[in-house]
Amino acid sequence: MDFGSVLNALILGVSIASIWLIAALGLTIIYGAAGVINMAHGALIMLGAYSSYMLQHYIGVPYLLCIPASFVIVAIIGLVLERGLIQYLYDRPLDTLLATYGVSLVLVQGVRLIFGSDPKYLAVPEIFSSNISLGFANISTFRVVVIAVTALLVLALWILFYKTRFGIQVRAVMQNKEMAASFGINSSRIYMMTFALGAGLAGVAGSLFGVLNIVLPTMGDSYVVQAFLMVVAGGGTLAGTVIASGFTGELQSVFAFITNDTFARFVIFLLIVVFLRFRPQGLFAKGGVRR
Amino acid sequence: MNAKTSAKSVGTNSKTTMGNPYHNKTAQWIAYTLFFLALAAIPFNVDDDFLLNQLATYGVYGMLALSISLCWGFGGILNLGQGIAFGLGAYGMAMTMQMQTQTAENPVPPIMLNNGLDYLPFLWWPFQNTVSGLIFAVGIPTLFCAVFGRIMFKARVSGAFFAIMTLAMLSAFYTIILDQQAYTGGVNGITPPSPLQLGSFQIDPYSPAAYWTVFFALLIATVIAKLITQSSFGLVTQAIRDDAERVRFLGYSVSSYETTIYTISGLIAAVAGCLWVMVVQYVSPAQLDVGLSISMVIWAAIGGRMSLLWAIIGAFLIQGGQSYLGDAFLSTWLLILGGFFIIVVRFLPNGLASLVEAGLGMLARKPKETSFREPSGVKPVPSE
Repeated sequence: MDFGSVLNALILGVSIASIWLIAALGLTIIYGAAGVINMAHGALIMLGAYSSYMLQHYIGVPYLLCIPASFVIVAIIGLVLERGLIQYLYDRPLDTLLATYGVSLVLVQGVRLIFGSDPKYLAVPEIFSSNISLGFANISTFRVVVIAVTALLVLALWILFYKTRFGIQVRAVMQNKEMAASFGINSSRIYMMTFALGAGLAGVAGSLFGVLNIVLPTMGDSYVVQAFLMVVAGGGTLAGTVIASGFTGELQSVFAFITNDTFARFVIFLLIVVFLRFRPQGLFAKGGVRR
Repeated sequence: MNAKTSAKSVGTNSKTTMGNPYHNKTAQWIAYTLFFLALAAIPFNVDDDFLLNQLATYGVYGMLALSISLCWGFGGILNLGQGIAFGLGAYGMAMTMQMQTQTAENPVPPIMLNNGLDYLPFLWWPFQNTVSGLIFAVGIPTLFCAVFGRIMFKARVSGAFFAIMTLAMLSAFYTIILDQQAYTGGVNGITPPSPLQLGSFQIDPYSPAAYWTVFFALLIATVIAKLITQSSFGLVTQAIRDDAERVRFLGYSVSSYETTIYTISGLIAAVAGCLWVMVVQYVSPAQLDVGLSISMVIWAAIGGRMSLLWAIIGAFLIQGGQSYLGDAFLSTWLLILGGFFIIVVRFLPNGLASLVEAGLGMLARKPKETSFREPSGVKPVPSE
């Protein structure tokens, strides 16, 4: 075990962390603001990948434009979903979990009917498909793009939640919905916006994952559970999710370096469950809210 | 199907009782009896061995839905990881059946030899003997539920949070079983070459013997579960479901009750896992797939999670629908199931059972005192 390969594992850990984080960002917003366990998140990620695929394949939109376009498309889908179903279930958290699972069944099967089960591929500009070499560490350029997009999104979300009027309203509704409503905040509208935003973030994640992996109707399923773990380990806050993802991404990479990928995942899941036993509120709990 | 006949028998029953017969304990027991009589009549009317085998697997699914109904409908604990107990039970049974076919000269199963393991690992030792194998197959998942439940409920993890934790554990088990190919057969799982041998008697999966084994297991599990829900213990768990905090203030140890009901539910699922392997002679990591565990919840939710009987019927209806309508609608089946599930969750939180409840209530037309189970008019809210 030499120093170079350990460093390589650590750099790969940052990349894994950014993937886990970007998958969890949308969930964090939705779970943190509205307390909704959105089991359809994986399906929304998948929809993001397919919208990028459609834009690229049928209209010829360049890949970098596909990313924001996927955000808009999936955000609109999320908006429809929220208005049509989720808004009736806010006071029944277990039922939202089940209903959104039903939604994910419908979305995955619907996409399978339209596009078939054969894998699709997203083409990226030539320069993304090379490798960057930093001395002894080696990483593909696209993984750097993912890290950069994730960092940008976290920054944008931080500004949105802590520096704008909308952000203050969201945080007010998070802390106390009735009190916020009595100050004239339309909480129903806030929930709608945050759900759409969270869905849109899933869309961005999808258009990136579509390049990292192949595009399949079931591609989102594997991300849901680990994304949830990031969210609950982080306590449902943005900072918590960032730190939880960073930590577990590095751990995953190091364990995978010592043993193998699947075993590392097993250890990580166990560690998170043990961690949550002793800190059920997660890393950073929402202020004043008792679970 | 048999489910429909039993629904009708509930209907004819209503005229003889006062109030809404849905809430009448005697009427409930009569409905359960008729349901199981209908199931018992099946082997006498079905000659097709393949169909009988398929119906036996439905019985296993029914047991799983029953275990979910007990844990979620009566205990308020949404368990998305029931596949752990089911899968571990199934693996235990498969290991037992595999070891039955190994002889003294040839003690190591082929899955290990194929993966470069030329001795029997420690993990497999208890399964060399059929009796201890069966005890371990049921005991290990039950013990896991007891320990995991104890740890989680002591930390007051509940509601959706607990659901996520069970999901995480399920994924962890799925991953490790997939990974440890030499011990578990990896993605191919274990396919025991011959049926279960109990003493000198062999339970052929395609014989009525297998059907009867599943039938009696389902019958016993249902009667025990029903008695539990009617006991004072069951009353407290239902109180915890409706308001855990209030029960805690009354001096009950909420976590002990939650752990117990969760463990009993896991025990039923473990037995179901054993029976499943007995019936299909096969196990793979697919039995610990997230999709299957959520399906169990869907069965109970569509049938009616607050009713043990209707949870079982829900499993029959959906799995039967998948087998028979699935061929007709082929690719749209999941679309239909997902849509149906959304509608049930949105408009019928207590599943098809609530339609029957409302229907019987209208037939009886004299709303007298209601039983403790479901005060009429008040929809029980799932606990948080």
